[in-house]
Amino acid sequence: MGKLRIYFAASSIVFLVVLAISPLKDFFREWKWYQYKFNDLIKELPQRIKPAEIGIKQLWVRKLDRIDRCVTCHLGLKEKALQEAEQPFRIHPHIYHDFEEFGCTMCHEGQGLSTTFKESIGKVKYWDRPIFPREYMEASCAKCHKENQVPQAPILTSGRKLIEETNCVGCHKIDGLPKQWVPSLDGIGAKVNRMWLVNWLKNPKEYFLKTKMPNFLLLDDEANILADFLMTFKTFPKGAMLDPLPTLLMNSPDAQRERLIELGSIRFREARCISCHLINGKGGYVATDLGKVANKVDVKWLYNYIKNPKRLQPGVEMPRYHFNETELAGVVAYMQSEFTEGEEGTTPPHTPDPAYYEKGLALFKKYNCSGCHELGGMKKAEEMAPELTFIGSKKLYEIDFGKSNIEQSLPSYLFTKLKAPRVFSSSMKMPNYEFSDEEAQSIAVALLGNISDAVPEEFKIYPKPSSTFKPQGDFGKLVDDLACFGCHTMFGQGRSVATDLTLEASQAQRKWIEKYFKVPYSLRPILTERMPNLFLSERESKVLVDYMEQVFLADSLERDIKIDETKIAKGKILYFEKYGCQACHQIKLKGGYVGPALDNLGSRLKAGWIFHWLKNPQAFKPESIEPNNNLSDEEAEALTAYLMTLE
Amino acid sequence: MFFSFRNFKILPAILLSLSLICCSGRNSTSLKQTSGSDSSKSLTYEERQGRQLYKKYCAVCHGEEGKGDGFNAFNLDPKPRNFTDSIYMSALSDERIVETISQGGRGVNRSMLMPTWGGRLKREEIKYVVSYIRRFSYSE
Repeated sequence: MGKLRIYFAASSIVFLVVLAISPLKDFFREWKWYQYKFNDLIKELPQRIKPAEIGIKQLWVRKLDRIDRCVTCHLGLKEKALQEAEQPFRIHPHIYHDFEEFGCTMCHEGQGLSTTFKESIGKVKYWDRPIFPREYMEASCAKCHKENQVPQAPILTSGRKLIEETNCVGCHKIDGLPKQWVPSLDGIGAKVNRMWLVNWLKNPKEYFLKTKMPNFLLLDDEANILADFLMTFKTFPKGAMLDPLPTLLMNSPDAQRERLIELGSIRFREARCISCHLINGKGGYVATDLGKVANKVDVKWLYNYIKNPKRLQPGVEMPRYHFNETELAGVVAYMQSEFTEGEEGTTPPHTPDPAYYEKGLALFKKYNCSGCHELGGMKKAEEMAPELTFIGSKKLYEIDFGKSNIEQSLPSYLFTKLKAPRVFSSSMKMPNYEFSDEEAQSIAVALLGNISDAVPEEFKIYPKPSSTFKPQGDFGKLVDDLACFGCHTMFGQGRSVATDLTLEASQAQRKWIEKYFKVPYSLRPILTERMPNLFLSERESKVLVDYMEQVFLADSLERDIKIDETKIAKGKILYFEKYGCQACHQIKLKGGYVGPALDNLGSRLKAGWIFHWLKNPQAFKPESIEPNNNLSDEEAEALTAYLMTLE
Repeated sequence: MFFSFRNFKILPAILLSLSLICCSGRNSTSLKQTSGSDSSKSLTYEERQGRQLYKKYCAVCHGEEGKGDGFNAFNLDPKPRNFTDSIYMSALSDERIVETISQGGRGVNRSMLMPTWGGRLKREEIKYVVSYIRRFSYSE
């Protein structure tokens, strides 16, 4: 009987304890502790803030099908007084989207339904989308923002640009991304010297630091075999043949050659080759380094290429300079004498591997060179590399981290892969792009944003359809010949290195444009890229200007402004004393270096354009940093009147 | 009987175990609390947005480092403000700086060489810029 009583007492105590645990556990929930703490915190503040009611809170975003309980602990997201408070009570930064409308996990990721810190962060088993580290947050913008430029997400924007520029689509499939133009390899055997090619294949960045060609980490043998293989391709695209060198270049007496080189050096400078090409570390980096070009290419090729670049390299953005025969020979002679390094003919004798062609072809296919370069009509290898269209939705268990000991998450995998492409397995073939940390991070952000099933269709913002503008007739031929689109934009087509020409005829006076073609100069006191002298004939320049006067203008930009003395005087006061334009603009070498110099403005621009530009500069050039001063019509007219007197 | 005196000796044991449970609960949460805020060095969202705008619009005169030594500064008289001057900067309220940026120098009786940005930048954007400018005068 006594035993039974002890059992009974013990079991009832156990029962009582168990009964007590569950309400206590509920009482000491993690989130309740935060809510009590929040209520304590706000009592100390001078401002009056409504205390939190104890209980689970959630945001239910019906349109996006999300339920987020983050607001259970993040209680001060809208309280201005909690600017400096400790997390989780700090105010949410003011962003362009209201979090009550979009929820939390839409941008931050993590597990919205959970109510403990650890689970909501999402770094737990079976949860594939843990909370994004702050530097990868912009990947979430990509769920809706499919357009190319997202000004509020600079990292994402630059990542997308890098993916496009480095031509990832050469190997990886990414839907909707066009392939970049890459030089064709047809005729390379008649273009470059073999030793240069071997060194280039081993490390392209050693010759040209800004090249887009990555380093394939080839062994010496591999580079030699591949070079031997490539050197056998001596026919140019569409069967183009190299013209023989003119006698002027071949064998002319020394004195004549000196004169030729002198003429060439003048034309070389006038053509502003360094706008795009790099020479001894100076100049643009749009095109290749010319510093040692005479060691790299054959003279005959150089002569033919400058004569007509697109014949040997279809699609290249180099303009065809309209040199005459002597000038052309001069430029080639100048380049030949100036851009060399060391002695020629010191190359060691080389006996190619007997089976170099087969081995070379195998290497060419292994590294999918035809993914970017054209060669003898060879096709790009299909499914060379994983598709990246939806890489951001990749599940963690699908990723092979190899033997690396990095954090097991998608962002860190992508970042590491971009920095050291072959670190996860020695059989990987991805080349090394030598990205900086910042570049690798921005590409990773853009890739993380490539996900499949994020938001309903009505939230997505797609890029504007690309422009179909194609200039016709003589003008179209010249635009192609001079590669205008390489720098200028016209009706949404082309690069934005230089001015948008869409409204050029409304903007500039005819006489000025004609003069500018003859002697181009830089409008801005400081600028690296400059308009080259293309050596156009009178007729060609007339064709260009005539077309501009027909097409590149808008009638709404005309305005009849009567210029009189009072207006000019008023404009001068506005310019110097009210708006302080001289802070950024120069007149007669006095003033700032930010905007273009305004000398000759009266003979350069049209009054209507100046007026409309002053009223709203960003209407014409959204990226312009000119302040919008909200000028009244009278003020804008007075300023225009003053500026038109600068001749 | 069940309610005999002997059984009440168990009560302190129950209380003890309860207090243990609650202690452990408190401990675990307070640990998580301290390990969440290490963002003293990195920029906040506002400051990062401000940095973008500052670099685009302000750095030409005020300098990348905010020392008033941008490449265009030598053309200007008076010289652009040095934002690293913490004594001067701490005397200015955020509202005053917002006003200066949006109305320009002439709007606040300063040099009119400072342009008016109110027409170009939204008020929110100007606030971002101000929060970034404040970083220059923080003492490390």
